[in-house]
Amino acid sequence: MTRTDLAIIGAGPAGMSAASTAREAGLSVLLIDEQPEPGGQIWRAIERNASTRPEALAFLGPDYADGAARADRFRASGANYWPSSMVWHLDCPEEGDKTLLVAWDGVTRQVQARTVLIATGAMERPVPVPGWTLPGVMTIGAAQTVLKSSGLYPEAPLVLAGSGPLLLLFAAQCHAAGIPVAAVLDTTPSGAMLRGLPYLPKALFGWRSLLKGRRLMRVLAQSGIPVYRQVEGLEALGAERVEHVRFRSGGKAVKLEATTLLLHEGVVPNPQLTRLIGCEHRWDRAQRCFHPVLSDRGETSVPGVFVAGDGGGIGGAIAAENAGRIAALEIAEDFGAVNRPSGDIEIVKARDNRRAQMAVRPLLDAMYPPPAWIGKLDGDVPVCRCEEVSARAVRGAAADGAPGPNQAKAFLRAGMGPCQGRMCGLTVTEILADAHGKEPDAIGYYRIRPPIKPVTVGELAALDGAD
Amino acid sequence: MARSSDVIVVGGGLVGAAVAYGLAREGASVTILDEGDVAFRASRGNFGLVWVQGKGDGLPDYADWTRRSKDLYQGFADGMLEHNGCDIELKQEGGLSLCLGEDDYSETEASIHRMHNQPGVGENDRRMIGADDVREMVPIIGPEVSGASYSPHDGHVNPLYLLRSLHAAAQQLGARYVSGAKTLSIAKDGDGFRTETEAGIFRSGKLVIAAGIANKWLAPMVGLDIPVRPDRGHILITERMQPVLPTLLVNARQTADGTINFGNSHEEAGYDTSINPAKLAEIAGSIVRYFPILKNVRVVRTWSALRVMAPDGFPIYRESETAPGAFSISCHSGVTLAAAHALDLAPSILNGGFNDRFAAFSPERFHVSPAA
Repeated sequence: MTRTDLAIIGAGPAGMSAASTAREAGLSVLLIDEQPEPGGQIWRAIERNASTRPEALAFLGPDYADGAARADRFRASGANYWPSSMVWHLDCPEEGDKTLLVAWDGVTRQVQARTVLIATGAMERPVPVPGWTLPGVMTIGAAQTVLKSSGLYPEAPLVLAGSGPLLLLFAAQCHAAGIPVAAVLDTTPSGAMLRGLPYLPKALFGWRSLLKGRRLMRVLAQSGIPVYRQVEGLEALGAERVEHVRFRSGGKAVKLEATTLLLHEGVVPNPQLTRLIGCEHRWDRAQRCFHPVLSDRGETSVPGVFVAGDGGGIGGAIAAENAGRIAALEIAEDFGAVNRPSGDIEIVKARDNRRAQMAVRPLLDAMYPPPAWIGKLDGDVPVCRCEEVSARAVRGAAADGAPGPNQAKAFLRAGMGPCQGRMCGLTVTEILADAHGKEPDAIGYYRIRPPIKPVTVGELAALDGAD
Repeated sequence: MARSSDVIVVGGGLVGAAVAYGLAREGASVTILDEGDVAFRASRGNFGLVWVQGKGDGLPDYADWTRRSKDLYQGFADGMLEHNGCDIELKQEGGLSLCLGEDDYSETEASIHRMHNQPGVGENDRRMIGADDVREMVPIIGPEVSGASYSPHDGHVNPLYLLRSLHAAAQQLGARYVSGAKTLSIAKDGDGFRTETEAGIFRSGKLVIAAGIANKWLAPMVGLDIPVRPDRGHILITERMQPVLPTLLVNARQTADGTINFGNSHEEAGYDTSINPAKLAEIAGSIVRYFPILKNVRVVRTWSALRVMAPDGFPIYRESETAPGAFSISCHSGVTLAAAHALDLAPSILNGGFNDRFAAFSPERFHVSPAA
């Protein structure tokens, strides 16, 4: 069994920054991460790319390259670091330490932590368009992950579809890397600029992000990649795998050849750990997802458990780093490891930095509203991929009296597969909310059960900690 | 405004839904009052066995009642299909309880002899079989398996489909299902009952309390003392696999979907439904001993749920003597007994003579003073 003052889950911007800050204050820190090296999703494989594939740094862009210095600082911090390790259970009794169960190399390691920081970031919003389960259809994030970690890129003809900054960024990265993109299907409803206008003044505090956005739009415009705007009714078609995409754009029906279709409709907090421990969550109407309810300190409704980074609300890497720093300083103050006045000054600075980063969010939310059609889904389209449950079946469960996703899960098996509901949780809640004419807050979300990702029978049986 | 029906069933789990379905079959107007989406819900956490062997050690009536439910099951499943129910994946092809090592084998054998010696235990088909015969039935067992007890009467269902089917069939027969209606108080009201819930007030002629653990605090409102307690069990579910468990085991069953469920653990943990890692490790450790080949299979889900346990482990059924027309129904075998609850117990609620019929399951058995 391992004991620590602070256990951090996730080695992305928030986790690394919190680890470095907490170490400076003298806390014992254990950082646990699923990847073999630090960086999270945004800086995935940064150390390997920085040392062996400089050309990748060029086309992945300067924001990606920035990760190398962050990883160096974290490595030098003296934090205990478990890479390639998966936290599959977190237990937070009312009194005493939290317990983390971690699968690593065929065994389960037990950790007792005085405090826990969840820095597990965001995941892509599942986009259940007809045909989304066909081979060849993936998310942009998944394709980007492969591009970062192995330099492999998807088969042509490649079609990108969706809305928001990552769509633009990935199109620009593909272009810079010489990866041919057959078409970009922009699903953003018309009037994005108009919707954004009221939020522009405040967003100017985040002018750096705005400039980045402008630059990406220009790169896309100059790339010669055909862009279809106001895309609606997107479908992936094919027998064994995706062969075509069909959609409407500007009132016209279009059908294109596609061997790969990459979807992206924004990112949402990864809810698995905060749901597992029963934190309070609230529905965010603008972003159409649940957020864990956090105090100014970054603490959840479960005392001693903090969330920093995109897992608490989407803000990007720099906001996440500052949130990680805030949480670490607050925890250090609780332990009396830093003196309050100087700690408070650092907290104020980090809060201001974070606020500047978050300033642009309302503008982005208004310009790129998350898809409203998901809650209206019906018919054969599979909602739960693991158990092949259709939108129609979810509506049927509602009609049979299922008040929320847990009874629907019992009726349909939706959410019971290996992904533990990650791919259908939001969709099922939205459909039930629509069917019952209620707000998602009143409908709720799946109770998440351990393991939050699959572990083997052998790993479960080999539990350490009887020491 | 209070809405009224012939019978209110408090509890929408397997016991309540089975009784409600049975009442609705008899033509009664029924209202099921259930809690919201999140509750203790043993009915969503159980294992799905329709299990006969070993039950009734100490109470022959329970052995008979279990066997009766088992015998009714196929007709019960077919009956629900006629009323908008779904296929509950019923299979009654016999089951095994594996033994590890010689001591385990001789203890199981002794329990069979003990039950044979109790008059009226109608369970004579249970028998011991050796490791080689077990291997014929379950080829993946490991070298530590020393044998098993076998009964041809054991079977299983998909418990979630059973719950869904009961709800659908009861509603098709006119039962009304109200969720978010946690019961707050029950009172006599003229010649009927008035039930106050989080979703309003409901009136009925008769009242059935089938609320699992909550019978402990609801039944006293009609003058009954039901000393049930939570008994925590853990279940592990694997990823889907090719069929590797052709025979049902008391602690492992492969579902129609291909997942394997492991369970059969017991623990005193109060009302805590969190996971005990040591218990999971114990179950996983025993899986590796029973079936070494499954060591690298992935577990996709685990949970714990609370069995509704009487001090002696047997059902408690009783009509109130101070408030006739109010019934308390508790047991931990909501799946196994569902057929008997629907087709036999429910009609007795309407037809009278309930306490005579189920005298063996009266809570009076816990109140016998040592001097008596």
